[in-house]
Amino acid sequence: MPPFELVTPATVDEAIASLRAIAGSGPAVIAGGTDLLLDIDDGRTAPGRVVSLRRLPWRTLDWTDGALTVGSTLPLRSLEDDPDLPRRLPGLWQSVHAVGSVALRHRATLGGNLGRAAPASDLIPMLLALDAEVDLVGPDGSRRLSVDAFIRSSRRTTLAPGELIRSVRVPESRPSAFLWQRVRPANDISQIAVAVAFSPTRPGWSIAVGGMPPRPVLLTDVARRLGHGRPSEELLRDACDRASREVGLASDQRASEEYRRRLVGTLLGRAVRAVVASGEVPS
Amino acid sequence: MTDDSAALWVNGSVARLQGMPDDERLLDTLRWRLGLKGTKEGCRTGDCGACTVLVDGKSTLSCLTLTREVEGGSVTTIDGASDDPELKRVSAAFTAAEALQCGYCTPGFVVALAGLLKERGRSAPVEELMDGLQGNLCRCTGYAAIARAVALAREDAP
Ligand SMILES: Cc1cc2nc3c(=O)[nH]c(=O)nc-3n(C[C@H](O)[C@H](O)[C@H](O)COP(=O)(O)OP(=O)(O)OC[C@H]3O[C@@H](n4cnc5c(N)ncnc54)[C@H](O)[C@@H]3O)c2cc1C
Ligand code: FES
Ligand code: FES
Repeated sequence: MPPFELVTPATVDEAIASLRAIAGSGPAVIAGGTDLLLDIDDGRTAPGRVVSLRRLPWRTLDWTDGALTVGSTLPLRSLEDDPDLPRRLPGLWQSVHAVGSVALRHRATLGGNLGRAAPASDLIPMLLALDAEVDLVGPDGSRRLSVDAFIRSSRRTTLAPGELIRSVRVPESRPSAFLWQRVRPANDISQIAVAVAFSPTRPGWSIAVGGMPPRPVLLTDVARRLGHGRPSEELLRDACDRASREVGLASDQRASEEYRRRLVGTLLGRAVRAVVASGEVPS
Repeated sequence: MTDDSAALWVNGSVARLQGMPDDERLLDTLRWRLGLKGTKEGCRTGDCGACTVLVDGKSTLSCLTLTREVEGGSVTTIDGASDDPELKRVSAAFTAAEALQCGYCTPGFVVALAGLLKERGRSAPVEELMDGLQGNLCRCTGYAAIARAVALAREDAP
């Protein structure tokens, strides 16, 4: 493991400047470090300089008019402990709780999870189903885009050199659910993860599935078929069948394609029923 | 290397870290620089919890933490158990429940449980405490005795 120099800028401008100086040499930002340090250990990246975000004022959480804004460096455990989250965005609480272990979540962050853009991320599917947006800041100023547009493919994002994730915004509270299947409950990678949310304003359903390369995906067409309120059992069964047929799945060391297809249908059915059971979905 | 004078509090004493490389992990600082061998290395990949310490009271995987990133903070390890009421209480519960065999995982479990009790209070539900220990692996005990130790460490333990 080649050594690196750690720099700890005190301001956002300094952070951007110190990143620009090494643009091109791969990811060199550290938030919680739970992905970056393993990537360095395994030789997937070898930055000469690592820029720490720990002094930036981004460990924030704010609810305004039902919209949630989470600073990119807030530890996931602090997000999980927000008293309003389980009620307003139950699926997001469930997905955060699913990440690693308590000790991991004391350091791991939302910004790091998005920055890594792992195909098996538990947070990205839920953020997709909640129509979340990322707020970026870089040498050319700020911009905001949907998580869907931010994630490109496995470990690829639309972050420009020198650009940082400042915060993540979830536009409205939604009844929602997040379900996963793994071999070990903690510290394991989901074979399949399903995120479901119902938007009261649209009104309508969103479904996202994670656990397979190249990236977590929204199932817009299947979600539309669920209608604008509580679906009938028949409609739901049809949607689950479609989802398990249509998602791009394959076999790997964690699960076979066949098993994954069954999981998608089963977890989707359970997740939609759980959201309906919240009593917040009109008939 | 940035600031050679930056210090870290470890089990109540200042640990000066002159000349420490920026990429040093907290686990290595504790075990090799400071000689505190109570904290164990299991996997070094975040999976087993054997390296768990408290940083400012919160359970933290020392194998996945840069020491520089927690500079200025306060680290408590199993070696500081005699000075920390929660660690002391949990250690006693593990002993009383005979919740160890080889003992390699025990420092991690004790520190993780002490951290949960600090966060959630001594009357937190057993289920929540057990769920909070999912990140700790034990290859000897089958967890039944550890579950007994968890029950004993709570406030309203019989
Ligand atoms: C044992 C173990 C279990 C895990 N379990 C899960 C799990 O169950 N589910 C899951 O989804 N993930 C899991 N992970 C992966 C990881 O913990 C998460 O992805 C975590 O959220 C990463 O956050 P971090 O702050 O530690 O990221 P870091 O390692 O600090 O950063 C990750 C990447 O994002 C970049 N980055 C970080 N912050 C920013 C920012 N603000 N702006 C721009 N780029 C940034 C970094 O440069 C780096 O490339 C696990 C990891 C381990 C080691
Ligand atoms: S050694 Fe740190 S989690 Fe296993
Ligand atoms: S007692 Fe041996 S690993 Fe737990």
